[in-house]
Amino acid sequence: MEADNGIRVEGLIKEFPGQRVLDGLNLTVGNGEFVCLLGPSGCGKSTLLNILSGLDSDYRGSVHFGGRPMVPGGKPPATIGYLFQEPRLLPWLSAERNVDFALENSRVPRSRWGDIKDRYFALTGLQPFRDYYPHELSGGMAQRLSLVRALAIEPDVLFMDEPFSGLDELTARRLRVDLLDIWRETGKTILFITHNSYEATFLGDRVVVLSQGGIHNQISVDVPRPRDYDDAALFQVGKTVSATFIEAAEAAERARARGTRSSH
Amino acid sequence: MLLKLGSMLAVVAAWFGLSLLLPATVLPGPWQTLNVLLENIADGQVHQHLLATLGRVLGGLALAMAVGVPVGIIMGLNRFAEKTLDVWVMVALTVPSLCYAILAFIWIGLNETAAIVAIGLTSAPSITINLWEGVKNIDTRLFKMARVFNASRWVIVRRVLFPQVLPYIMASLRFGLGIVWKITVLVELLGRPDGVGFQLFYWYQLADMAQVLAWTLLFTLVMLFIELVILQRLERRLFAWRPEVRL
Ligand SMILES: Nc1ncnc2c1ncn2[C@@H]1O[C@H](COP(=O)(O)OP(=O)(O)OP(=O)(O)O)[C@@H](O)[C@H]1O
Ligand SMILES: [Mg+2]
Repeated sequence: MEADNGIRVEGLIKEFPGQRVLDGLNLTVGNGEFVCLLGPSGCGKSTLLNILSGLDSDYRGSVHFGGRPMVPGGKPPATIGYLFQEPRLLPWLSAERNVDFALENSRVPRSRWGDIKDRYFALTGLQPFRDYYPHELSGGMAQRLSLVRALAIEPDVLFMDEPFSGLDELTARRLRVDLLDIWRETGKTILFITHNSYEATFLGDRVVVLSQGGIHNQISVDVPRPRDYDDAALFQVGKTVSATFIEAAEAAERARARGTRSSH
Repeated sequence: MLLKLGSMLAVVAAWFGLSLLLPATVLPGPWQTLNVLLENIADGQVHQHLLATLGRVLGGLALAMAVGVPVGIIMGLNRFAEKTLDVWVMVALTVPSLCYAILAFIWIGLNETAAIVAIGLTSAPSITINLWEGVKNIDTRLFKMARVFNASRWVIVRRVLFPQVLPYIMASLRFGLGIVWKITVLVELLGRPDGVGFQLFYWYQLADMAQVLAWTLLFTLVMLFIELVILQRLERRLFAWRPEVRL
């Protein structure tokens, strides 16, 4: 029986000195669901992923993975693959050894490493660069390598923090399609952060727009898969998402302006 | 390499020129100095003193690294440790090396242990500062990456912290060597019956400039060899993964 790896976040509060970044956030991601998270810069998206991945245990509220509670300070009760906003590779290890580093600490048996690496290196077009060091890779290649690393450990849940924002549109398109293929095959639960409304629409079952520490609005993308970039219905939803996003950003700005005025 | 050779030749030439102007009791020429050095070596006493000094340099350096490196790393990583220790590192750095040597010889006795303790403790604060500054620059985001990928604390120390600290350890080793050998000579002059420092002081008292320069030259050559041949090679091998910096 497959385990349930849906995520349930309830009343999540996160404060940094002088500001409350998450203010009672409630969010659910179904098992195997692909949810995109959209929100103005600085609204707490990376902060949320850091909490969900167990990096930040200083919060209030509750987090469950498939009904299993996360204990602050402990490991999350699901295997997590995390694609950070920057590649975060170990510069003294070759591309392949960087992936090995993740595999060594995972529960994937050594006998399968070869096949897994072959597959994801080929998929991301990095096959010829396995022996390259990170400083010999372009920014986009480094980001693809960190995608290989996140996928190689066969996580139950995948967190992706603007993984494709530094890539050219052609590569990004290809990788989005590949990501959807992998997702369809493996049924992972994915939480994907982006600033790009159309990317969010193309990828997600649902787009959640954050603002001022909570959910501003959410939009289901009821367009059948496989989707086509140039699908008119998809474009229509994308426009709605885009409008909602701008609305959220403006609301956040107004709130900030009020905040600064009242604090004077 | 050619540049290095050229500049060395220029210095020797300048030395030669100056020695022509000054009396030989003040500044003997390179040729005369080299002759004295070769005679000393032929006498068979050089290696005894040289080995005694090198032993103290290595012992002192090992002690200085053993104390200085861990303290520096902890101060670089931990704010609390930094705040509590930085005054003391400054104090330790300010105390003149002569004081360490005198205290060590009085408390421990006129022996080898005291010499090495004096050398090690004098140079440890500089090494600590070197590492402390360096470790502040390391990328802590990589620790978070390793934690998300389930690395244990030990794996993080060994495979994420250590490779980042290693360049600073190597740098402080070279830098430490430079300080340690100067202190060693001083300590030998003060309280040891052999070694290069002892010889320097002995010939200084006899006002024999050629001997003083011969011993200085010998020691400089040995240190240059360690620095240029051994340490630089080691560094090149350890950091082959780094992008090459060409000027
Ligand atoms: N370690 C920290 N200490 C103090 N404040 C922080 C820290 N990390 C983040 N913040 C603050 O929390 C807020 C949210 O940051 P976060 O990185 O989560 O934003 P984001 O939504 O990911 O933005 P972006 O889209 O630009 O990546 C910001 O105002 C930031 O200044
Ligand atoms: Mg972010």
